[in-house]
Amino acid sequence: MSLYLPIAEMSVNALLIVMISGGIGFLSGMVGVGGGFILTPALIFMGIPPSVAVATQASQITASSFSGVIAHARRSGLDFRMGLLLSIGGIVGSTFGVWVFAVMKELGQLDLLITIFYVFFLGVIGALMLWESLAALRRRAQGGPPTRRRRKRGWAHRLPLRMRFPQSGLYISALPPLGIGLLTGVLAAIMGVGGGFIAVPAMIYLLRMPTNVVVGTSLFSIIIVTALITVLQSAQTQTVDLVLAALLILGGVVGAQFGARFGARLKAEELRIILGVLVFATALRLLWDLVAQPTELYVLSR
Amino acid sequence: MTMLRALFLTLMTLCVAAPALAQRPGDLATGITEEEVAVTSDYQGARLTVFGVHWRGGRGKSDVVVLLRGPGEREIVRRKRRVLGLWINADPVGFSEAPSFFALASTRPIGTFLSASTIANLGLDPGALARLEGSTPADTDPAAYRRALVRLKRAEGLYRESAYGLRLEEDGAFKAPFIIPANAPVGAYSVDVFLFRNGRLVQQKPGEIVISRIGVEKTIHTAAHTWPLLYGIATVLFALGAGYVAAFAFRRR
Repeated sequence: MSLYLPIAEMSVNALLIVMISGGIGFLSGMVGVGGGFILTPALIFMGIPPSVAVATQASQITASSFSGVIAHARRSGLDFRMGLLLSIGGIVGSTFGVWVFAVMKELGQLDLLITIFYVFFLGVIGALMLWESLAALRRRAQGGPPTRRRRKRGWAHRLPLRMRFPQSGLYISALPPLGIGLLTGVLAAIMGVGGGFIAVPAMIYLLRMPTNVVVGTSLFSIIIVTALITVLQSAQTQTVDLVLAALLILGGVVGAQFGARFGARLKAEELRIILGVLVFATALRLLWDLVAQPTELYVLSR
Repeated sequence: MTMLRALFLTLMTLCVAAPALAQRPGDLATGITEEEVAVTSDYQGARLTVFGVHWRGGRGKSDVVVLLRGPGEREIVRRKRRVLGLWINADPVGFSEAPSFFALASTRPIGTFLSASTIANLGLDPGALARLEGSTPADTDPAAYRRALVRLKRAEGLYRESAYGLRLEEDGAFKAPFIIPANAPVGAYSVDVFLFRNGRLVQQKPGEIVISRIGVEKTIHTAAHTWPLLYGIATVLFALGAGYVAAFAFRRR
């Protein structure tokens, strides 16, 4: 079934897009990550202009995070104060990110910027995912107890501007949450991701937040940031495609719900390996495009 | 579709009956099957046929060329350069008035019966139509950029040359089928029919077709460009609504 995208100005196979976003949503629902960092490159490989893919993806993340927040609301908590700090950082970061996005688009270097960001972050994350899950498998094979890290007072506790976070039971500086928000905001604007893959580990390992409030808090700030990005991109670059957004939301949200249900029955390590391989392969493919001798030396940019 | 077919058949009948109209050398009657193309949500591009008839009497060989051309636009061509091991887009060269779409159908390759200057003067070469903008970066060859522009647009399916795409019948009737792909922009397209005899232009008939968005496509596109802020807010509300519906739809089951 072909559908014409009014902003991308191209005809696409609607069923294929719903299936791809559904498949990636399923996988990400099983593992519990956003999936934007696979879906956006997938859209670009399909020929959708990178600017449209990144900007439109933000609205899909808003939808899936919102349905996630509702689903999590009962089970896990939300540290509102922490979420607010992350959001403030995220608002500053994403506003800056959208500005950089618009400038690079004007200079014709947007594709390069997006690709470099992806190669770096996907490479690092894919490698970490593979390493972690392989280590976990090895531990299980040896039958030893999982290694536990002692809760220490990290550097987040020594910085100034300390605040109380009763929900997380923390008394730490406000600067690290602002910084994490800032970084994820920039990534969200430039890569079309939610940034949960940076925020969640940072909240657990740097801020030492209790895991039961991490997911809800991260989703909360992701909704605020991606909603803002959708509005900013619409206003500044006019690259948000409502029809494409509807297809991505349909596939992604439904896929993630099924994935979450399925994932409960499967072993997390195996899943992480699959996802890690996928992420790492995407990074290598993108890196290849950057370093290989191009067959066509010239490019058109509008 | 049936309406289109009926229209096509009517026009083709007219075309067969038309030789009576074209009785003097150089007389040329032309028509287009679709003068208005609507971009709807299931738009996959358009097919249209330019047809006509011309008087074949007299000596010499007749050639017909049909040119379908989209609105001119600004294009920037960049050349990739290796920086720190990475291929980046560098050295931009701008062209103004590059045809956004260019399709040519002729009885035989135009180079075989027209001189290069005639081709350029009549605008039958998309590369020649594009005007070089300002100064080009040092040590770059503008001609190479111009060739690249044509090559890249051809690869996108936006420049098409069909050297034998026009069939000239014994009775002087001809038809040239065209395909406009979905990625061709909307706007007013010129349709020019050229009649040549022994390589000299005898007559030129201008025409026009319009490709325009209608319905939802138009609403969304207009909204995104006219009220970008509202459009963004609406998209966010839509996303929140969809997420809400999904969360509850899946909880009930």
